[in-house]
Amino acid sequence: MPVTEEVKSSWADEVEEEGGALPPPTEVYENGFKILTEYKYNEDDKKVKVVRTYKVERRIVSKTIAVRKNWAKFGDSSDDRPGPNPATTVGAEDVFMQFISNKEEENKVEEDSLDKLKSIGDKGVVKCRNCNGDHWTSKCPYKDTILAGGKVPDDKKPAGVPGAPGAMSDLNKPQGSRYVPPNMRDGGNRRGDSMQMTKRDDTTAIRISNLSESTSDADLEELVKPFGPIQKLYLAKEKLTNSCKGFAYVHYKFRADAAKAIVQLHGHGYDHLILNVDWSKPPTQSN
Amino acid sequence: MKPLMLHGHERAITKIKYNREGDLLFSASKDKKPNVWYSLNGERLGTFNGHNGSVWCIDVNWDTTRFLSGSGDNTLCVWDCQTGKVVGQLETNSSVRTCSFSYSGNLAVYSTDKALGYQCEMFIIDARDVVSKSSQENAIRRIPINGPRISAILWGALDETIITGHEDGEINLWDMRTGKKLNSIKSHKNQINDMQTNKDGTMFVTACKDHTAKLFDSESLVCLKTYKTERPVNSATISPILDHVVLGGGQDAMDVTTTSARHGKFDSRFFHLVFEEEFARLKGHFGPINSLAFHPNGRSYSTGGEDGYIRINTFDQSYFDFHFEY
Repeated sequence: MPVTEEVKSSWADEVEEEGGALPPPTEVYENGFKILTEYKYNEDDKKVKVVRTYKVERRIVSKTIAVRKNWAKFGDSSDDRPGPNPATTVGAEDVFMQFISNKEEENKVEEDSLDKLKSIGDKGVVKCRNCNGDHWTSKCPYKDTILAGGKVPDDKKPAGVPGAPGAMSDLNKPQGSRYVPPNMRDGGNRRGDSMQMTKRDDTTAIRISNLSESTSDADLEELVKPFGPIQKLYLAKEKLTNSCKGFAYVHYKFRADAAKAIVQLHGHGYDHLILNVDWSKPPTQSN
Repeated sequence: MKPLMLHGHERAITKIKYNREGDLLFSASKDKKPNVWYSLNGERLGTFNGHNGSVWCIDVNWDTTRFLSGSGDNTLCVWDCQTGKVVGQLETNSSVRTCSFSYSGNLAVYSTDKALGYQCEMFIIDARDVVSKSSQENAIRRIPINGPRISAILWGALDETIITGHEDGEINLWDMRTGKKLNSIKSHKNQINDMQTNKDGTMFVTACKDHTAKLFDSESLVCLKTYKTERPVNSATISPILDHVVLGGGQDAMDVTTTSARHGKFDSRFFHLVFEEEFARLKGHFGPINSLAFHPNGRSYSTGGEDGYIRINTFDQSYFDFHFEY
């Protein structure tokens, strides 16, 4: 770069300097970088500082190129300073070449997704929790025949159910990092299914609401005991304060006792409140 | 990669060209001033002020001392590369569509448009003889073209022949000494927009409006390869180091406003020279690419677009790492 010649600054810069108040542009060379700082006014008449950083590179080129590199600028560029003029040379944003993979690879990808679809079809979307068959658990043909153990004896496996063998082999597969629900895990069958089988019989349960806050387990027991033998008592309590939430569930041994209790207790005044007693309704949305 | 965007032109770029070493990039546009840039950092060295119309064609000689430009103002200018001053100016009957220095740089060929009642003509001149206010009568040889005009021109081997590409897709080979037509081939169906040779000049690639680019043998004019796209090809260039061809194009200027850049019609498209298969694309311009040129070292290439920008794209390592599978 010719440093000996004094290079005129462009007219735009001069005008800005006449406007006063703006510091002159500076050029600093710092370990291989040229840092150019300019000040100007933007459209809102606000002062703007523009810092441009150029990397200064030293390249060894043939003599003819080196000579041409030192040619003086001419034409419309004759007033430009050494180095690229930001008005005409802009670093564009990053672009990346999009490589187009050849056809074989494309086919391969297609096959892969096809395989995936196929395997999904084999497994079936629905899987029985009892026998791993291709149906809903509630519609399992072995629902009533199998005890808590849950595993279908080999000879009783549904022969006509497609996918069941695949599913079984799936079970025998070494289990990798894939998530397996607890009831599918080895040794987990019994537990998972037993929980299901000992499901409480809610037909003998009643719900008592509008209980006072001070009600305790003992109070509740005292209240419901006279009607018959009790299977289970549940008084909803606030976790922190341990005070009653205002309702309770009572499981009687016999449905007749429960009915009696409802008749007797419904509308019964207890601890300055009038109780509300009815059959315990199962949650509306069942799994 | 981070391309350099050169914004020195006010109108669409018509032609870009590297000098032999590749340190300078010359560009012409439909505005009146051809520009010259340092290809390394995109710094503008200067502008060649003097034309009074669109500049259609440019060329630079072997040792980067003279620069040739033909314009729609019916002149052909020879410039001094270092100072940007006009060395010689030659008046023609109609606009100068193509021009090219011979390898030696002593001779030059140019062709004029069929317009204003004049036929398309091809002139071979001694570039050293062009002084201020030269006339086209001083040509060494004057070859009238009775038929479709010349739209692209190249010098053949050893400066003995000239290859012309025509508006109707015809390619002709001329004996430069006698002015006789040696060979003719009609492989393209539409206007040939551009022709560029490979590094040693044994083959050249055409860019045609019929949506194809073709590779021809420079001597026999046998069509060797065809690169098919679905849009007019405005320019095509061959990599000097790899078996790659880059095609640039887009639709006609009149259709540009109805097409978005997202359609991918303005990408540079990379084809394998031998297998004729596209393997990569590079986005960039907002309009059709009008001219493409490979840096002589093959590590970067430039595009000039209808949008008036020139982009110098320096390849990433990924380009060189890419292996075309066959």
